[in-house]
Amino acid sequence: MTADAIIQSLASGLLMGLLYGLIAVGLALIFGLMDVVNFAHGEFLMIAMYATFFLFVFFAIDPLLSAPLVAAALFVFGAVVYLLIVRFAVRAKANAGMVQIFSTFGLAIVMRGLTQYFFTPDYRSVTHSWLGGKTVSVAGIFLPVPQLVGALVAIAAFGGLYLFINRTDFGRALEATREDAGAVALVGIDKNKVFALGWGLGAALVGLAGAIMAIFFYIYPDVGASFALIAYVTVALGGFGSVFGAFAGGIIVGLVEATTAMLLPPSLKAVGIYAVYLLVVFVRPRGLFGSM
Amino acid sequence: MNITRRNVLLGATAAAALGSVAARAQTSEVVIGVIYPFSGASAQMGVDAQKSFETALDIINKNHDFDLPLAKGEGLPGLGGAKIRLVFADHQADPQKGRAETERLITQEKVCAVIGTYQSAVAVTVSQICERYQVPFISADNSSPSLHKRGLKFYFRAAPHDEMFSAAMFNFFDAMKKKGTKIDTLSLFHEDTIFGTDSANTQLKLASERGYKVISDIKYRSNSPSLSAEVQQLKTANADVLMPSSYTTDGILLVKTMAELGYKPNAIVAQNAGFSEKALYDAVGDKLEGVISRGSFSLDLAAKRPMVGKINAMFKEKSGKDFNDLTSRQFMGLLVMADAINRAKSTDGEKIREALVATDIPGEQTIMPWKRVKFDELGQNNDADPVLLQYIGGKFVTIFPPQAAIAEAVWPMK
Repeated sequence: MTADAIIQSLASGLLMGLLYGLIAVGLALIFGLMDVVNFAHGEFLMIAMYATFFLFVFFAIDPLLSAPLVAAALFVFGAVVYLLIVRFAVRAKANAGMVQIFSTFGLAIVMRGLTQYFFTPDYRSVTHSWLGGKTVSVAGIFLPVPQLVGALVAIAAFGGLYLFINRTDFGRALEATREDAGAVALVGIDKNKVFALGWGLGAALVGLAGAIMAIFFYIYPDVGASFALIAYVTVALGGFGSVFGAFAGGIIVGLVEATTAMLLPPSLKAVGIYAVYLLVVFVRPRGLFGSM
Repeated sequence: MNITRRNVLLGATAAAALGSVAARAQTSEVVIGVIYPFSGASAQMGVDAQKSFETALDIINKNHDFDLPLAKGEGLPGLGGAKIRLVFADHQADPQKGRAETERLITQEKVCAVIGTYQSAVAVTVSQICERYQVPFISADNSSPSLHKRGLKFYFRAAPHDEMFSAAMFNFFDAMKKKGTKIDTLSLFHEDTIFGTDSANTQLKLASERGYKVISDIKYRSNSPSLSAEVQQLKTANADVLMPSSYTTDGILLVKTMAELGYKPNAIVAQNAGFSEKALYDAVGDKLEGVISRGSFSLDLAAKRPMVGKINAMFKEKSGKDFNDLTSRQFMGLLVMADAINRAKSTDGEKIREALVATDIPGEQTIMPWKRVKFDELGQNNDADPVLLQYIGGKFVTIFPPQAAIAEAVWPMK
């Protein structure tokens, strides 16, 4: 194997990893905020991809332009999901954990089923976009433009989220609610409003990822499944409840995947991810950057 | 009266006996189970398959003037004009669900025959259940060679399997080499279930027998989120021919990733599956000018056999698509099964099996480029000649074997 091939693999892994990170950040945000795992996270990604696809087909809006629209729509969707479903699920007196799991898991299945019913199981694809199919070549290393832009969007989104959490009142309320949901009620912060905002933000982030991914990935009702699994591992690897950890975890997962594929047969590339994950869990059960 | 298990069993046996007497007296309906993925990643295959089976059903149950088995007249004359009813079951591409659904079709829906399954991995369990209940199974579109080599008595396949397909590919390479084309090295790229694995094993064997060098053999995980590492390896190897065995999703991602990483092979010769799907060409067709895929169907045949075009039009009205390699084989699967049931004059599994063993349908009475439909002792039709098709100007043209070809192969692909 040549040095070029190794650098190429690592570069591809890094670009993919930043995207994994962007997908996982929303999941980590919601989990950190209220200890709820959103099992419909992959389906959020899937409807974002469909939304991008339909905006492209019917209104000829390029995915790059529709990304903010899709993120905004997903923000509303996430908040509504919280207000209509999750709010009641977390209130359950008996078996609260189970109720919470099955409510979002059920939501995932319903979303998948409805998508298949209305949009058919056919594979869709954004055929020609501004970025699609373009590649820049730097010193013999090929960097696909969609993934490159995706990586930049991921970095920008993460930076924005970081500033939002640390610099705004709402961000501070988010952080305070995360620390102690009971105490914030005493100072007059509406817990439900904060949680709804958290769900909205989490969904908007994965919406952004979905819009970018629609440029270079195929779209069908089950597309969320393979990415959601990686997102769960990423969150656990990076550290439960840590938004920064999820982002770093994504990058690690991307690089480990690329490295494993170089060393082992590619059908085993997921093995590397889980091996690293196991190692981290052994040494540091709360994950690399976890605080719990 | 106390209801004991024995009484219930006796009652059930009596009812079953009465039922079968009644059934023999007047069978107005023959029920066949059709098992496909109708949800999950391959659901579109099931949806298309359903349209194909409904087209075949139309031909059998209604009166048509085609030179096909059972086209003329309504229903099955051997069973007093009984109509066929299809029961569709969803195996979700999961062998265990396939097992359970087949059992349900046989015991609850009382089907007398089963047809399936798209994924070869599912065909393995479905055919085992059929064998246990002695219900004939037609593997309409599964291409794994290992399927018919298990000594099952109720397993039948009218279509070619991957050894036949792969042999056609290597015959084609040999022919091209004779004309002076440089074909020495091959890259295999295959998914990790039975379809991809069997296909690659066959191709490895044929390559070594005929003196081709396989310089990279990449087994990848199906439905992977990214294939860039895999494509990177293919690019480094840069063989004369890339030979993928992939389903649709992976096929789309493969082609997109190849373009992104600047990998353009001289030729792609694909083991069908995803590479015969409209969805793949809708998504990345612009990057696939000149790709070669194997098939057992070609619309070119309509020039020689006009009914092929007419039946394709019937299918297109239902599905919005032309027949492809999969849907055409599914169509033939039901016709072959219905023909056997008609000759068996019975819905009894063993009698239908005997009729299938005696099947001999000349190629002209099919919509395929096959010599005929006749099963060997393993239930495989060895006269189902495959063809190679090349994607030129937005459609497939037959380029091999010479007797079926209507155009010369374009090599390198562009």
